[in-house]
Amino acid sequence: MKTNGETFVKMRLSIVLLALACAAPCRPAHSQVLVIANPSVGATDVSKAELRDVFTGASSSLKGAAQVTPVLLKGGTVNNDFLDLYVGKSDSAFRASWRGILFSGQGMLPKTLDSDAAVVEYVAHTPGAIGYIGKASPHEGVKTLMVR
Amino acid sequence: MRRSPIAAALLLVVWVWGGHRAWAQSIDDLNLEVHGYAAQGFIYTTNNNWNTMESTDGSAAWTEAVINISARPMPRLRVGVQGRYLLLGYLANTITLDWAQADYKRNEWFGFRAGKVKTPIGLLNESQDIDPAQLWVLLPQSLYALANRNSTLAHFGGVVYGTVPLGEMFGELQYRAYGGQRVLSSDDAVFQTVRDKGIALPNGATGPMFGGSLLWQTPLRGLMVGASEDSEHTSGAATLGALSGSLKATHFYQPYLYGIYERNKLMVGGEYTRQALQKTTAFVAGPTIFIPKDQRAWYMMASYKLSQKATAGIYYSDSLDRQLPVGSARYQKDWALSARYDLNTFLYLKAEQHWIDGTELGYSTSDNTSLKPNTRMTTFKVGVSF
Repeated sequence: MKTNGETFVKMRLSIVLLALACAAPCRPAHSQVLVIANPSVGATDVSKAELRDVFTGASSSLKGAAQVTPVLLKGGTVNNDFLDLYVGKSDSAFRASWRGILFSGQGMLPKTLDSDAAVVEYVAHTPGAIGYIGKASPHEGVKTLMVR
Repeated sequence: MRRSPIAAALLLVVWVWGGHRAWAQSIDDLNLEVHGYAAQGFIYTTNNNWNTMESTDGSAAWTEAVINISARPMPRLRVGVQGRYLLLGYLANTITLDWAQADYKRNEWFGFRAGKVKTPIGLLNESQDIDPAQLWVLLPQSLYALANRNSTLAHFGGVVYGTVPLGEMFGELQYRAYGGQRVLSSDDAVFQTVRDKGIALPNGATGPMFGGSLLWQTPLRGLMVGASEDSEHTSGAATLGALSGSLKATHFYQPYLYGIYERNKLMVGGEYTRQALQKTTAFVAGPTIFIPKDQRAWYMMASYKLSQKATAGIYYSDSLDRQLPVGSARYQKDWALSARYDLNTFLYLKAEQHWIDGTELGYSTSDNTSLKPNTRMTTFKVGVSF
């Protein structure tokens, strides 16, 4: 026979689990973003720290790759998910920090493209290019990098 | 005197650019890019007029516009030039060269840039004049006083830089070393306090300078600590009415200590510096004026990203010049609350409220007959960048 206390605890547990289940889809999923690179890029995988450094302008190379050039998506869910997961900044903060780099003479802005297809096209034809697209997007002519 | 280094820097850019055009088949191969931004500020102060603006009546005499042309003719080589229009009260209504440089990055360990280059000291010096990159309308004035920024922003010469990995256990170390010539024009806002004494510097002031920075990206993700040291020795011809003479600053060494923690939506940072020197203005058959300075300045700041487009922040900025007589003119304590909203990728709005105690920084006697010991300041800014 269950006491009122046990029922209350189970009810609270159910509410917490339900809340967690509802909250989970709100967090961007790794699997929705695909990191792609030109076939000339030597690396087959990349760490989160390397991605962050390359996309924030702190570094211009990956392990096993001489030099890489980041390319960005103009906006949208995939862009926001990528920045949230791997760079740790919102889109506006990310672009503000790049403006700091540009206008202080420490670098040039990465190319920004309108769509996944444009990113794939650019990365496929630009040696050293590295970008990101939605997982469901076609990506012929580029290599995918596994994120460690 | 003032134009020759600018011309040399431009020539360097043109030479490097032109030299490598031989490899460039088209404008696409140069990876030429043009960017810019413009910002318009509005300031209202309850008591004292700030930086020669009639701010007690509300003033919009604060406009900046920047144009940047950069190119990457080779994968490891960048060249660029940036010009600026600045209107700031009666202090500035000028077009100046921010920087003009060639930058060659051999690898992560080593790179160098030469020409007129940004001086890599402190936490924010290189980006202190770049409004679109900042949350704040005004950076902490104790270290980044708006009217004084040309005295530290850029120099003619070079910078070597690089990053040395220390292994996963210890993070990485970034280094910057620089040297060259500081060149300040006669109408630079940094000389306003000298002008207030009736002294003019017809050719501005110049002098050798060098220094460096070490920045440690610690193993704790998002935490960086650093230290810089700047050494300068500037001088120039001076006039006081019909008298002529010279202004010389003692050779000084200025240390900076700083740290910043950035993780997800939170940023916390702080910085300390001390500047101790003496300016001596000597006139033939006239007076010798000594202006000693021993300024200790620091600030603490924090910001939080409220949403994709909105950010809020707070800082406390503190400055004390121990060489000045006891009174409200020897210090400045400033609490600031700030907010920024990015309407889209290009357009942003800022608002900031200051509670300022003391009058050490940012005031001129030319438009303040008697300074009150404290003031409140409300500022707004709208900016666009591309």
